[in-house]
Amino acid sequence: MKPAAFEFRSPRALDEVLLELREHGEDARILAGGQSLVPLMNFRMLQPAVLVSINDCAELSYIREEEDGVLCGALARQWDVENHPGARRSCPLLAEALRHVGGRSNRNRGTVCGSLTHADPLAELPAVALALDAVMLVNGPSGRREIAAADFFVGALENCLQPQEMLEATRFPRQPRGVRSAFLEMGNRKHGFALAGVALELGIEDGKCSSVRIAVMGGESTARRLHRTERQLLGSPVDAATRREMGRLATQEVEMAGDFHADGAYRKQLAGVLVERALAEAAAEPQPTPRSA
Amino acid sequence: MSEQQGRQRVDVTLSINGKSYTRHVEPRRLLADFIRHDVGMKATHIGCEHGVCGVCTVRIDGRTARSCLHFAVALQGHEIETVEGLSADGRLERLQQAFHEEHALQCGFCTPAVLLTAEEFLAENPSPSDSDIRAALSNNLCRCTGYTNIVKAIARASGREGEAASSGTGDAS
Amino acid sequence: MIAPGHKGNIGRPVRRREDSYLLRGEGRFLDDIAEPKDTLFLGFVMSPHARAEIRGIDASEALALDGVVAVYTAEQMSRLTKPVHTVIDFPGYRGTPRPILADKVVRFVGEHVAVVVAEDAYAAQDAIDLVAVDYDLLDATVTLEQADQPAAPLVHDEVPGNVMFESTFATDSFEETFQAGELVVRERFRKGRVAGVPLEPRGCLAILDHVADSLVFYTSTQIPHLVRTALADLLGLPEPKVRVVTPEVGGGFGTKAQFYTEEVATAAIALDLRRPVKWVQDRREELLTSIHARDHIIELEAAIDATGRIKALRAEIVTNAGAYSTYPFGCSLETTGAARMLVGPYDIRHYAYRARSVTTNTCPSGAYRGVGQPSGFMAMEGLMDRIGRKLGIDPAEVRLRNVVKAHQLPYTNVLGVRYDTGSYEECLRRAMVLADYEGFRARQAAAGDSGEILRGIGICNFTEVSGAGSAGWRVRGLTKVPGFDSAVVRIEPSGQITLQVSQAAAGQGHLTTFAQVLSDYIGARAEDVFVAEGDTASAPYGTNTFASRSAVAGGGAVIKAAETLGRKIRRIAAYLLEVELDQVELRDSRAILVDGSDRGVSFREVAEVAYSMSGTPLPQGESYGLEALEIYDPPLATWANAVHIAAVAVDRRTGAVTIEDYVIVHDCGRVINPMIVAGQIHGGTAQGIGEALMEEIVYDPEGQLLNANLLDYLMPTAQDIPDYKLDHIESPSTDALGGFKGVGEGGVIGAVPAVTNAVADALARVGANINRTPLRPSYLLREIDRAAARS
Repeated sequence: MKPAAFEFRSPRALDEVLLELREHGEDARILAGGQSLVPLMNFRMLQPAVLVSINDCAELSYIREEEDGVLCGALARQWDVENHPGARRSCPLLAEALRHVGGRSNRNRGTVCGSLTHADPLAELPAVALALDAVMLVNGPSGRREIAAADFFVGALENCLQPQEMLEATRFPRQPRGVRSAFLEMGNRKHGFALAGVALELGIEDGKCSSVRIAVMGGESTARRLHRTERQLLGSPVDAATRREMGRLATQEVEMAGDFHADGAYRKQLAGVLVERALAEAAAEPQPTPRSA
Repeated sequence: MSEQQGRQRVDVTLSINGKSYTRHVEPRRLLADFIRHDVGMKATHIGCEHGVCGVCTVRIDGRTARSCLHFAVALQGHEIETVEGLSADGRLERLQQAFHEEHALQCGFCTPAVLLTAEEFLAENPSPSDSDIRAALSNNLCRCTGYTNIVKAIARASGREGEAASSGTGDAS
Repeated sequence: MIAPGHKGNIGRPVRRREDSYLLRGEGRFLDDIAEPKDTLFLGFVMSPHARAEIRGIDASEALALDGVVAVYTAEQMSRLTKPVHTVIDFPGYRGTPRPILADKVVRFVGEHVAVVVAEDAYAAQDAIDLVAVDYDLLDATVTLEQADQPAAPLVHDEVPGNVMFESTFATDSFEETFQAGELVVRERFRKGRVAGVPLEPRGCLAILDHVADSLVFYTSTQIPHLVRTALADLLGLPEPKVRVVTPEVGGGFGTKAQFYTEEVATAAIALDLRRPVKWVQDRREELLTSIHARDHIIELEAAIDATGRIKALRAEIVTNAGAYSTYPFGCSLETTGAARMLVGPYDIRHYAYRARSVTTNTCPSGAYRGVGQPSGFMAMEGLMDRIGRKLGIDPAEVRLRNVVKAHQLPYTNVLGVRYDTGSYEECLRRAMVLADYEGFRARQAAAGDSGEILRGIGICNFTEVSGAGSAGWRVRGLTKVPGFDSAVVRIEPSGQITLQVSQAAAGQGHLTTFAQVLSDYIGARAEDVFVAEGDTASAPYGTNTFASRSAVAGGGAVIKAAETLGRKIRRIAAYLLEVELDQVELRDSRAILVDGSDRGVSFREVAEVAYSMSGTPLPQGESYGLEALEIYDPPLATWANAVHIAAVAVDRRTGAVTIEDYVIVHDCGRVINPMIVAGQIHGGTAQGIGEALMEEIVYDPEGQLLNANLLDYLMPTAQDIPDYKLDHIESPSTDALGGFKGVGEGGVIGAVPAVTNAVADALARVGANINRTPLRPSYLLREIDRAAARS
């Protein structure tokens, strides 16, 4: 398992990165942390002719806590975001979800924007981006543009970027005061890819759900936002019976394809249970579970 | 060896364990192969080449990373460290001694990588629980030990009190 | 004669000698050996199809690539070597030769079609992609269930019905006894296919030693001697001109106890091109082509009486052997291993089995840790639980009623196999105490079965066949597995001792444990003993390292050689001390008088005389040198035994399993090093837990392997493994020298059934029947839902 040959570019500034992309277009791939890209290259499932490393672009390596959220530059590494005090404060769901991404040595190198661009249907960060309505800041031949997370993920390992564009940064909106978040996933093994997972934020006022955002990942080509379940929950008390009902609704709302790890019916059912339990966690009523499902 | 199209080579200079090495390699040369076959340091092993098993773990700029998921050419100007370097500096001594006492290695193929993972973990978690240790280890596969004695060894090497008396035999009695 | 005051080493948790260099990263595994500058690298072109005819191969583009030296196909390779042909001397065996490169037909995804030779591994991979193979696709036979059906395509024309091996057995008057039983309990168990997956993939390096005109062959193997004999035979080389060297081996587990076609190809090409040739397997190849294991259907039915005693047991066993019979064990081990071992520790007097291996268009199956026994005991111990459920008797009690009691030992089992010593009841009783079994049952009953968590407890009480001697391999018809092992002990002129053993460790700590054994049996200080093995140029011939044989066979050989050489030391010492032979005993690397005076001579002084390096001549009739070679052929087998008890919690809504408690009480006879024994058990148990819960090699209906990567072939991580409570009982073997029994495989044998039974116990509370592995959450939840729908 050795990668196919490629030409290597390591621009030192964003402008140069964009020039490389403009020159090589579809033949080029951006190398950031490489934690998703390089395995595919080693298997020769991807054979880019040109690899444009952004690892020497210091200007892309930032994590900024801003008024309305957290801005992760293209080279913001997952471990740094996960442990960034501002990111943890403004966007606890992102930090919590990052704990489930790969392992420590993967997160030391892997970037938040890289994982989002990779758009793996089993990945945690696209679900977080969808749940939070993250904003993808894209740069390309026609300048900068913003893309809503809901529009960014097109299919399995497929995003909406044009060949000459790159994801320059991602903004995760700040978690509003009084809102709690939870991220749960479960796989056939504790460490590794999940069969299903849920990212959610929940606000409760006067004993009733005042806001809710739920995204589920696992068996579809992309993570899915559960708008119907969210609407049903708004205004309801988040008691055990409601949570179970929301889990049931979530099971209905998701579409899951199966594989040998688990069939689609199971993944749908699991997604529902995870929604129910994530709601319980966010509502601060822990349930007895034998493992962190 | 003759060179024609598709076999473009470049000079790559890496700092490994504080020393500079320049080799003429293809841009696609994986860091693991550069360290092992171009420089000749063999403590860093290769087990899966897709970032899962963890036996190729090295440190890049002070943090653990998979050397099978990096191209040597992209790491010029960065600081690479391997078990050879950390071992020579004595930075692994407590862990190495604890691994020996607790029989935390069998074939030894995963061991250098596990030591690097444990070293990084203990530096940040001087007094970990067993479940913390198991979570930190979960990104490194070991097929021989069943992990039990690795957990004990890391606990022993940590500042955690009361673990040093462990027998290493795993006996219940 | 060892002095009573000699500081014994056997039984002590001596820390390992291997550790110091391994911990510094200085272990030299196959790919760490510095290859000569002009070394060429191989890349195998693998079939992407499970079954197809090869119409043609066009290597011209690959050959045109910079750095590519040659491409071999079956046509060229067949001129260099014979195919690998495993002969099992047993009626009912129909194995077929396997060519080194597929000849006209491919029979599994991953089978080698061609091999490219290039100047580095990257170019080799490029060349692989450029070899164009024209295939004519054929329907494949993939599953065990499919293979013996009339419509199934034949994998080999010469193997009718795809049945490669068949063996039957029945005790006298079996049918009458079975029919006379009061009740019949039956179950069909389906054990998934798994693989050993050592973290170091396979690999080899062939170097022509022009000075000696010989082939030096480094290979990551457990069987260097068997590889040498096979290589010399297939390549037509004089065996003395082949030297096989085993470097550090990064895990074996049986996966590396087979002889592989890549080894033949590497050596053949090195000889053909007169250049060093290296091949290092990658993980994808490893999962596609290194042997797979298990893949059984085992149907058991027991005729029992009202107390739960088994009166007669019938087993119908079929295993998926894959596309070829592997060397040297053939395709029969998994199936006869299950059939002949599963009666285990139980006093069963009437038994019948039919054991078959079917061939399919999948990777060949071979000897992975436990061979047959994890599946066999999953079935047997699963049946014990079902007898309990049927009769309303606790399953532990059912076992106690059927187990061979201490007073019955030595016991000859229903297959005529002798168990010299064991602790089948004692292990179970002690494990039940450690697991608080009664307390668990009380809590389980009190908890009811309405909550989100279902708890269950599972037992596996088993025997572990180990250290089989020649008789054990002849019984199985395996002609290329000698069964004996050997040791050379040599006291050098310095008085220090070289011990060469016919073994090849892959992490078992032989450098330490064989030094412990020799120290005790030759009266030497352990630090004076230096152990070496794995190089056929220096190590004596033997059967090598698999099937839990090192302690028994290697240890026995060390003891014999120690005793032979010990007598010579004492003869020379008695002469030097001018006393009778019986006045001399050995202690701490000295020969001393038995009178307690501490008067004596050191091994060094004895050695100087033996090597004619002192002024004193040898006694008359004594020959120069201080060396002994001894060969030890162990009994048919030694039988370790153990009990595993697992307690689990199953999340009823997700099917997730958590192991909450795990007890092991183990008896491998006399323990050489309890630390290393515990390590073997820990590691084996982890593999068994993985096999029970998550590991499975998955083929799709077309024979594509769906998880040839470590993201999808799930092995346990530290988070999946519980803390064990481990206890030992020592029932030394009386049949084997030293009293040792093997311990390499018990962990996996015990864990698969214990975990499976625990989960099945939990789910039986809601009416679900669990009888297959792996126990994926989706499978468990489906069975829970099905049971709910039925009720």
